[in-house]
Amino acid sequence: MKVPVSLRIAALAIATTGFYTYVGQLVPQKEVQPPVEVVMSKDMKPEEMAKVGREVMDSKGLCFTCHTVGKSGALRFPDLAGIGSRAGSRVPGLSDVEYMAQSMYEPNKFIVPGFNPGMPVINKPPIGLTDDEILAVIAYLQTLGGTTTVTMQTKLPWQAGGTGAEVATGAPTEAGGPADAVPGFKEEEGAAAEAAGPSDAEPDSRPETSQPPPTPQPPPPGSGQ
Amino acid sequence: MIKKGIAAGIVALLGLAAIVAISTLLLRREYQAPYRAPAGETVETPRDQEIADQRAAQEATEKAKPYQEAEYRPFPKIGSRVAIWIAAQLHLLFAAFVLAVPIFALIIEYIGYRTKDARYDRLAYEFTKLLSVSFSLTATFGAMLTFGLIILYPKFTNYLVSVFSPTFLPYVGLFFLEAFFLYTYYYGWHKFSPRVHLLLGLGLNLVGTGIMLIANAWVTFMTSPRGVSDTGAVISTWEAVRNFTWMPINIHRIIANVAFGGSVAAAYAAFKFLGAKTDEDRAHYDWMGYIGNFVAISAFLPLPFAGYWLAKEIYAYSQTLGLTMMGGAFSWLFIIQAVLIGNLFLAANYYLWLGMGRFSGAEHFQKYIKYLLILVALCFAVWATPRSIISTVSEVRAMGGSAHPALQFLGVMSAKNTAVNILILTTFLSFLLYRRSGKTATVKWAKAGDRAQLAIFLVAASIVLFLGIYGYFVEASVRIGFSVPQVLSVLLAMVSVTVIDVFLFRNAKTTGEARWGQIAPVSQYVLIFIAVTFTWLMGLMGYVRSGLRQHWHVYGVIRDTSVDAFTPTLGFATKIVSVTVLFFFLLISFVFWLASLAGKKDWVPQSKQNESKDLGAAA
Repeated sequence: MKVPVSLRIAALAIATTGFYTYVGQLVPQKEVQPPVEVVMSKDMKPEEMAKVGREVMDSKGLCFTCHTVGKSGALRFPDLAGIGSRAGSRVPGLSDVEYMAQSMYEPNKFIVPGFNPGMPVINKPPIGLTDDEILAVIAYLQTLGGTTTVTMQTKLPWQAGGTGAEVATGAPTEAGGPADAVPGFKEEEGAAAEAAGPSDAEPDSRPETSQPPPTPQPPPPGSGQ
Repeated sequence: MIKKGIAAGIVALLGLAAIVAISTLLLRREYQAPYRAPAGETVETPRDQEIADQRAAQEATEKAKPYQEAEYRPFPKIGSRVAIWIAAQLHLLFAAFVLAVPIFALIIEYIGYRTKDARYDRLAYEFTKLLSVSFSLTATFGAMLTFGLIILYPKFTNYLVSVFSPTFLPYVGLFFLEAFFLYTYYYGWHKFSPRVHLLLGLGLNLVGTGIMLIANAWVTFMTSPRGVSDTGAVISTWEAVRNFTWMPINIHRIIANVAFGGSVAAAYAAFKFLGAKTDEDRAHYDWMGYIGNFVAISAFLPLPFAGYWLAKEIYAYSQTLGLTMMGGAFSWLFIIQAVLIGNLFLAANYYLWLGMGRFSGAEHFQKYIKYLLILVALCFAVWATPRSIISTVSEVRAMGGSAHPALQFLGVMSAKNTAVNILILTTFLSFLLYRRSGKTATVKWAKAGDRAQLAIFLVAASIVLFLGIYGYFVEASVRIGFSVPQVLSVLLAMVSVTVIDVFLFRNAKTTGEARWGQIAPVSQYVLIFIAVTFTWLMGLMGYVRSGLRQHWHVYGVIRDTSVDAFTPTLGFATKIVSVTVLFFFLLISFVFWLASLAGKKDWVPQSKQNESKDLGAAA
C-alpha cells in the first residue's frame, strides 16, 4: 500500500517535533519561582542573620548565578570562599563590613584584578535587596572564613538616609575576592553555579541529586588567582 | 405527476380547513381570567424575606463599590500566559514569513529582470502567491494577541500603551501601506512595467521592515527598558524605542526571518515536487526548493554571529540578565538549541550532497563527503556537550563531580565557539563543492586560485582552532575577546573564497548540465525537516527571549504579580513550542493548498463533463 504524500509529510512533522520535545524532557527540569520576601526582625541574632543571608543569596539575590564558594580554576567572577578573613584588609581604610557593603551598593568602585565589571547594584531592581537583607548577606559572608560582627543595628552610609557619597569618593570597593578555598569549609557545588558570559557560557548543570564537595585544584596559569 | 398534484392539493385544503375550524372554536369561547389569591393573603416565609434582604444588600454593595481596574484576568484551562504565548508565537511565525518572502521574491524578480530569464520571474511569482493568505493570518493572530493582552493583562498593556502611544499611529499607517503594497505587488504581476513592479516590491519591503522595527521596540523594551524612571514613569519614548537590545534584535530578526522564510518556501516546493505529475513540474519545484534552501542556509550561516551580538548587548545591559540566560535558568536551553542547529547543519549538508547527483561529473567530489560528514558530526557532538553530565549520585561519585573528567573540557565556550565556526566553514565547503559540480574552470590561474582558496580555508580553520585551544590557558577577560577574531576569520574566509570562486568559474566549461528534477525524493523530505526544525528553533528562541525576564513584565521596572509569574520547566516550554509549531504547519498547509488552487482547472458540472466526454467520443 502506498502511503499518500500528505500523510508522510504530516508524519515527518509530528516525528520531528516529537523528537525535539523528547530532547526537552531529557535536560534538568527546574521551575523557577519568583523570589519570596524574607521576614526579618530587628532583634535577630548574628547566626540567624547569616542563615537568612545564605537564603537571600541563593534566591532573591541571585548571587550564586555568578559567584562560587570553594571553587578554583578559570572563574569569571570571584570565588567567595575566605571572603570573611580577606575583606578587612582588601582595601585600606575600609572595614570588612564596609568593604562588603560597598561591593553591593557600589560594585564598580573597585574590581578585583583579573576580573571584569559585571556585578549589578544590589539594592536596585531587578535584584532590589533591602538594607536589612544586605546586612544579612554580610553576616553570611563574614562566616566564610571570619567572625560575624554585623548586627541588624549596624548603620551603613549607603542605607536610606545615609551619606554614601562621602565614603564612595574616599575608598574603592570590590565585589568579592579571588578563590582560595578555606580549610574546613565545605560548600555543595550544587549551590554554586559557575558564571558564564557570551563567550564563556556553561549550562547551569546543577543536578537535583546531592553531590560531593569539589576537590580544590590549582588554578591554571594566568587565571589571576 | 398530475395525480400527485391533486393529492397534495387535497391534503393542503384539508389542513387549511382544520386550522380554520380550530381557530373558530377557540375564538368563540369567552375569556375567563385565571384565579389569583388576594394580595393580602400571600404568606411570606422568613426564608424568602432573608433571600430578598440578601439580594438587596448585595445590590447596594455592588452599587457602592468604586470602579477598580483589573490587573489580570484568567484564561480557562491553559491559563493566560500560555494563551498569550501561543497567539504571540503564531503571529510571529506568520509575520516572519510575510516579511521574509518579499525580500527574496524581489531579489529573484530583479535577477529575472536583469537576465531576462523568465524562470526567475515565475519563481518570484510562485513565492509571492503564498503571501496574501499568510498576510491575513498574520493580521488575525495579531488581533488575537492584542485582544488577549487587553483582556488578560489589562494593567500591563495599559502601561505599554502609555510608553509607546506615539508609535501606534505610524504602525497602523504602515500596516495599511503594507496591505496596499502587498496586494498591488501580487495582483499587479505583469500588469505594470517591470520597473514599476520592482518599485512596488521595494515599497513592500521597506514598509514591512518599518512595521517590524516598531513592534521590536515594544518587545525589546520589556527586556532592556530605557527611557523610563526606576518606577516606570515615561521620560522619553524615543529612548524607550532605541533600547539596548532593539538594534541587535532588528538585525537578528531580519536575518532569521529570511532563513525561516526560505526554508518554508523550500518546504512548499518540496510539497509540490512530491505531488508533481510531470517532469517539467518536478524540475521547476526541484529548482525552487534548491533556491529556497539556498536562501535559508545563506542567511543561517551568519545568524550565530548576529545572535552573539544580541547576547553581548544583553550582557552589556545587565550581567544578571545575561547570566540568567547563559549560566542560570536557561543554560540548558542552549544544549537543546545545539541539537537543533546541529540537525540543521547536518540536514543542509545532506541536501547539498544529494544535490550533487543532479550533475554528471560530480562523482569526484562525492569522495570528500565522508570526511565532511565526520567533521560535521564531530562539531555537532562538541557543541551539544554539556559542561556537567546529568547523572546519578553513584555516577557523580565515580566521576569525582558532576562534570566528566575529560568531556567537561568540551562543555565550555572555548570548545563550543570553535566547533560552531568549524561547522560553518564545513558547510560552506560543502556548498562550494556543490557549486563546482558539473563545471571546470578555464581561467589561466585556475590552479593558483584553487590553492589560494585552500590556503584561506586552512588559515581560517587554524586561527579558529588556535584561539579555541589557547582560550583554556588565559583569563576569562582575555578569553571573551577571542570569539571576535574567530568569527571574523570565518567571515573573511567565506567572503574572500566566494569572490575568488566567482572569478574562477567565469566562462567555465560545463561538463554536465544540471538535471533539475532528477534528485532522490528523500531530499524533499530533508527540506521539510529543515523547515520544521527552523520553525521549532524560532519557537524555542522566542521562548528564551521572552522568558528571560522571568518574573518581570518589564525587566526591573514592572513586576509580574500574576499566578503565572514563575518560569516553567524547559520540558513544559518544549511542549508548548511543539504544539505551536504543529498548529503553524497545519495552517501553512492550508496556505499551500490555497496557493495550489490557482493552477487547477475550473469546476465543471458533472452533466457538462459527460457531455464533453460524449462529444469527444463522437469526434
